[in-house]
Amino acid sequence: MPMPGFLGRLADVLARQLLSWLHRRVEPGSREWLDALTAESECADDGWQRLRWALGGVPLVWTINKRRQMNEPTRGTMRARIVLGVANIAAIAGWHAVILQAIDVATHFFRCHLFFGNQPGGCQDHPFVFASIAIGGAVLGTIIALALRARFAAYWWAVISGFTTVGSVWYLRSGIVDLPRYGATQSAMLMAATFGVVLAAIMRNTAWTETGHGPVHHVGDSAGAPASFLSRHRITTHLIAGAISFAMADSLIRMHDRHLVADNVNHYAVLGCAMFAAILAGLIDRHGSPKWRPV
Amino acid sequence: MPRLPNTSPQTLSVLELLLESPRSWHYGYALSQLTGLKSGTLYPILLRLADQGWLETRWTEPEQPGRPPRHTYRLTGEGAKAARTTLAEAAPSRMTRRLAFAPGSR
Repeated sequence: MPMPGFLGRLADVLARQLLSWLHRRVEPGSREWLDALTAESECADDGWQRLRWALGGVPLVWTINKRRQMNEPTRGTMRARIVLGVANIAAIAGWHAVILQAIDVATHFFRCHLFFGNQPGGCQDHPFVFASIAIGGAVLGTIIALALRARFAAYWWAVISGFTTVGSVWYLRSGIVDLPRYGATQSAMLMAATFGVVLAAIMRNTAWTETGHGPVHHVGDSAGAPASFLSRHRITTHLIAGAISFAMADSLIRMHDRHLVADNVNHYAVLGCAMFAAILAGLIDRHGSPKWRPV
Repeated sequence: MPRLPNTSPQTLSVLELLLESPRSWHYGYALSQLTGLKSGTLYPILLRLADQGWLETRWTEPEQPGRPPRHTYRLTGEGAKAARTTLAEAAPSRMTRRLAFAPGSR
């Protein structure tokens, strides 16, 4: 029985979107079978049939990717993983050690106690020194991680950059430096920054969009899989990721019955952390390591 | 005990169909309609058979302008031989299964 026009067209659009989304989940050299399934979808009589046919692409993509993993030379993969692990550890642990040393040097140079924010001579007396080291250190950490192609470390430093920058601006503005008393706010900011980075990374993840195979004209695009809405609208992606991160962090803190201190100001700080971190994650995804590298 | 490769009922139905005309090329959509298998079941089977060298594949020019090229399949010589053996070996168990589910079998 033919479906009503609107529902049929909707199913048709969904089928094409699903196929182009699946297309991006497969690396270019392994698309032959998905191309075959996609081409056959044109034989479907209506949108509903096409959607049912397209749904079969999900197990097919799973099979294709599993087969590719099994065929990968294990030694090369293991070596690549070890190199990547060392790069990430070096970029996180190594750079943390450098920052701590920098604070130590600054402590001697300025004759202050930068490690103890709420004590006389602490970072509230030298806010710019402390903020420069903390923010500069985190941003440099991101750059170093990107240079090492250690994306996890880059995200790590992006979280710390977002958290430290917003925190420093806020503290400099309000004069509040007594961190332990504002634990809930600190947690919310850190959570928002983390969610922001993770969400932005996931939402911007448009793996294998380059065309690398096949005589097939893909559904919806004759040259290759069309870019997704989120990959085409980068700023929107960041804003959405930031907004969701903010809402998630705020809800989690409230669920634990821990009220943020000075609500309005803190909400801006949490929102700022989420947005800033999401933007950084977006930039990392754009300029960072490649989506897929054959080993 | 692990099942022998290519002896699942779905794979056997694909092999049976391909063996009916082993020298002609078959389309995926037609195979799906004739075997009653969904695309998500059929294509992984075809992929596996091709990997094992039982199936050869070919892209054909579209019959209608504006349509994408289509992927077609047929059994290789070795694949046809292996498919006949597999179907012959699986015949008794397939018959038993059919009888077990036949009306009035209980």
